[in-house]
Amino acid sequence: MPTVGYCVIALMLTAYVLSDGFDLGIATIAPFIARNDAERRIAMESIGPFWNGNEVCLIAAGAALFALFPTAYAASFSGFYLPFMVVLWLLMFRGISLELREHLSSELWHQFWDVAFWASSTLLVVLFGVALGNLIRGVPLDASGYFQGSFSFLLNPYAIAVALLAVCVLGFHGAAFARLRIDGPPAVRAASALTALWWCVAALYVIVSAATLYLRGFGGHWATYACGAIALAALIAMRLALGKSDVGAFAASSLFLIALMGAAAATMYPYILPGYPPGSGGLSIDAAAPSVAAMTTALTVTIGGGIAVVAYGSLVFRRMAGKLRVEDVVR
Amino acid sequence: METVLADRLQFAFTVMFHYLFPIGTIGLAPFVVAYTWKAAHGGDPEDAAAARFWTTIFAVNFAAGVVTGIPMEFQFGTNWAAFSRSSGSVVGQPLAMEGMFAFFLESIFLGALLYGRRGKPTRFMAWAAVMVCLGSWLSGYFIVVTDAWMQHPVGYVAGPNGTYQLTDIWAVVLSSWARWQFAHVFIGALLTGSLIVAGVGAYYLLAKRETALAKRFVRSGIIAAFVLSILAAFPTGDINADDVTKYQPVKLAAMEGLFQSTHGAPLAIIGMPDSKSRTLLDPVFVPGILSYLAYGNFGANVNGLEAYPREFWPPVELTYYAYHVMVGLGTIFGGITALAMLLLVMRRLYSTPLMLWVLMLLVPFPYIANEAGWVVSEVGRQPWIVYGLMRTAAGSSPTVSGGETLFTIIGFTGLYFLLGVLFLSLVLREIGLGPSHAPEVAV
Repeated sequence: MPTVGYCVIALMLTAYVLSDGFDLGIATIAPFIARNDAERRIAMESIGPFWNGNEVCLIAAGAALFALFPTAYAASFSGFYLPFMVVLWLLMFRGISLELREHLSSELWHQFWDVAFWASSTLLVVLFGVALGNLIRGVPLDASGYFQGSFSFLLNPYAIAVALLAVCVLGFHGAAFARLRIDGPPAVRAASALTALWWCVAALYVIVSAATLYLRGFGGHWATYACGAIALAALIAMRLALGKSDVGAFAASSLFLIALMGAAAATMYPYILPGYPPGSGGLSIDAAAPSVAAMTTALTVTIGGGIAVVAYGSLVFRRMAGKLRVEDVVR
Repeated sequence: METVLADRLQFAFTVMFHYLFPIGTIGLAPFVVAYTWKAAHGGDPEDAAAARFWTTIFAVNFAAGVVTGIPMEFQFGTNWAAFSRSSGSVVGQPLAMEGMFAFFLESIFLGALLYGRRGKPTRFMAWAAVMVCLGSWLSGYFIVVTDAWMQHPVGYVAGPNGTYQLTDIWAVVLSSWARWQFAHVFIGALLTGSLIVAGVGAYYLLAKRETALAKRFVRSGIIAAFVLSILAAFPTGDINADDVTKYQPVKLAAMEGLFQSTHGAPLAIIGMPDSKSRTLLDPVFVPGILSYLAYGNFGANVNGLEAYPREFWPPVELTYYAYHVMVGLGTIFGGITALAMLLLVMRRLYSTPLMLWVLMLLVPFPYIANEAGWVVSEVGRQPWIVYGLMRTAAGSSPTVSGGETLFTIIGFTGLYFLLGVLFLSLVLREIGLGPSHAPEVAV
């Protein structure tokens, strides 16, 4: 049963990366595709109805981790204390900037929140990348499973490479979403951003894959290699879709993200918090699991709730679909 | 700074600031539903204006609630890791339920409600409003369940390594403490929402603007607030007090400032407790009432604080004053709304400026009462993080230092100050513009 719980957490985090990924991605590329006030407003408004629901995926995943693996929740959140707090502040700042921009019609006010939106979103992606990189690489744990290490330990070349990959791939994901959601000049610029970002993603994917193999050796789980191969196929599909199918590009980048998250989860398994140096054990899912009643309850809640959310979420989001144009939002 | 103290300060500060916003969303949600529903099904342009107006204020509240709520859940892991590790098997469950059953409902449908409103409110939006309302209420319920378990733990067994393992989720989710605490907290929030609606209406009447809508705001706000202020005392407040008497008698003694065990204990209306000299200074008593309230018998013995070891006392003064502020304000709300009801029945309410001034200036006070109630409940629970099982001092994170926590308190203070100023200015600006200022709504 802990394995099912592990998969549920991985799935929820993947759902978070897929959904909040595109709105974080739009934020990071907004300065490059939106050139004036109205276009920047479009960039924000394209994700307006969705971002809050997307972010709930992260909060729900955090809560599910608390319910399914309390020990891992306690060890990781207190171990990564300062980075986590910075993530919280950035999430709050980003939410504020999205909510407040339109409440006043002053140009200066808009500019301030545009920069806040870009900076907080981009930094968030970097921090998430660093966190994921360190999880794959492993962190030093003491006997009772608490993380023992400094801030500087977390800033290693591998984690930074993962963070760069995260920025580029979510930028691609966001630009692909922009192609689907926005009409006019920003969409044209998003198309050229897609091409540039694809090269960055491809290069970083090769680097990160090679580094992961070097770190973990070839003794990893078979699923790691399977996910790696799927990611490679998705990367090629992303390239093929460029300029031909906007839906295809978005679908391909989604598949790429799913494969990357799958590879990360498979590399870590059966540890939910792998130790450092690689291969030195860590906090396993069995050691972190709570009572059977708690596990059953949490699984019922997350799986049942997840199905309901997908059902009504897709109904609501279908009503909100359609392309935004500058004429629509400027009144 | 001592780590546990810093952790407690941080939690108290962030949760008390956050709490201001859910009170508003829970309390205003039914008004948003009512006006959106009427606008969608009737087509009265005034309903549409009222729907847009209260939806906007609700949305600003909601946004502030979301951004200040994010840290709350994660603080369990960051600052209270030892507590999370020992009790996560239980308290993780209602939090996961809140995420899966409430947050998604609220945020997905609020997106639809806000961004779908170019044009007249539709039936779809009316349903979206219902879902948002349901989500905000459910969210409140699961939070109260989490707190109720810390107040009165049920449905668990002691597991290995000092952990508490869930055995019966229904016992936790439906515990009587949780149900009645929720009823009381929920009514407090609805009362706040009603007094906000009445207060805003009173402002418009005094300013001679939006008169027709303003009368409706005042009327519906007052009627709701009158009923709710009664329900806040009986039965919900009363049953909450019974639960405290039964399960946390030392908290009851602190709430009442009762140091010595007394047969036929009097109720202290005012007075200043002093835990050093162990007396209530300058008290005004009503004899026998406390015994009656606690045990339904004027002569019953009520245990005073001295019946318990000093180390199990909560901070007496804080608990006592918070309790008296809550009860005192609740009584005042009952009196004022009863008077306003009388004026309403006599058809003189809208033309009595003094009453309108009182209603307008009353708006901040339900917030104070709600916060005071939170202090009674949580400070009065000390020194326990889980009542009778785990001391607060044992619950904080072993790897986080007081300095780190102090640093983050400063960070939160800065962010929340910014947020508070922005929130207030946006809401006041929206009220200043008024419901008729509604460019998006085709009327």
